[in-house]
Amino acid sequence: MDTSFEEKSVWIQLLSLVVGLGGYLVVAGLMLSNGVNALPAFVPVFAVAIVLIVAINVAGHVVAAISSRGDGPDERDRLIGYRAESRSSWILGVGAIGAIIALILSVSGVWVAHLLLISLFGSEAAKEVAQIVYYRRGI
Amino acid sequence: MAQSGTRIRNEIRTLRFHHGEMTQQQLADRVGVTRQTVNAIEGGKYSPSLEVAFRIAHVFGKPLEAVFQFVAESK
Repeated sequence: MDTSFEEKSVWIQLLSLVVGLGGYLVVAGLMLSNGVNALPAFVPVFAVAIVLIVAINVAGHVVAAISSRGDGPDERDRLIGYRAESRSSWILGVGAIGAIIALILSVSGVWVAHLLLISLFGSEAAKEVAQIVYYRRGI
Repeated sequence: MAQSGTRIRNEIRTLRFHHGEMTQQQLADRVGVTRQTVNAIEGGKYSPSLEVAFRIAHVFGKPLEAVFQFVAESK
C-alpha cells in the first residue's frame, strides 16, 4: 500500500484508539452491567487504556518513521484533516449536550462520564476513518 | 487523459516523461509536497491549491493551462 507517513500515523492512531479506548469501553460496559457504579473503580482500567494508547502510538510511529521518508504534512494532509474533523466533530457535540441533559435529569456521574467518553471515542474514530477514506478515494 | 474524482485534468505524467522521465519523488521534492500528493494530483484524486499548481507548472517551464485544464460540464 502506497502510504505517506501522515496516513500511517492516522492508521496507528485509529488502531490505538480501538484497542485502548475501545477495550476500555468493553470492560467498563461489563463492569456497569455487573452493578459497579463507583467512578473510582474505573480509574485503574482507564489508566491501563491510556498506557496502551500511548505505547501503541509510540511504537507505531517509531516503525512508521523508520519505514517512511521524514516528510511533514503538506497541504493535502492538512485539508484531509480539516474535512475529516468537520465531518466528525458533531458526535462529540451531541455527547456533550447529552451529558448536560443527563446531569439536569440527575443521572449518575458514572454514566455521564462514560457518555462523554463514548462520544469522544466515536468522534475521534469517525475522524480517523474519514481521513483514511479521503486518503484512499481522493478528496 | 481520462481521470475521475475532479474536473481538473492534467498533463503531469506526460510532462514528467518529457523531462527525462522525472520521478514523482523528484517533482514532489521540487514542489514541496509529498510523493503521495503528486501521485494523487496526477491520478485526479486531488486538486492542488493554486500555489502548488503554479509551482508544478514552474518546474516544467510551462504556463498553468499547459499543465492543468478545467473540464467544463457539457450541457
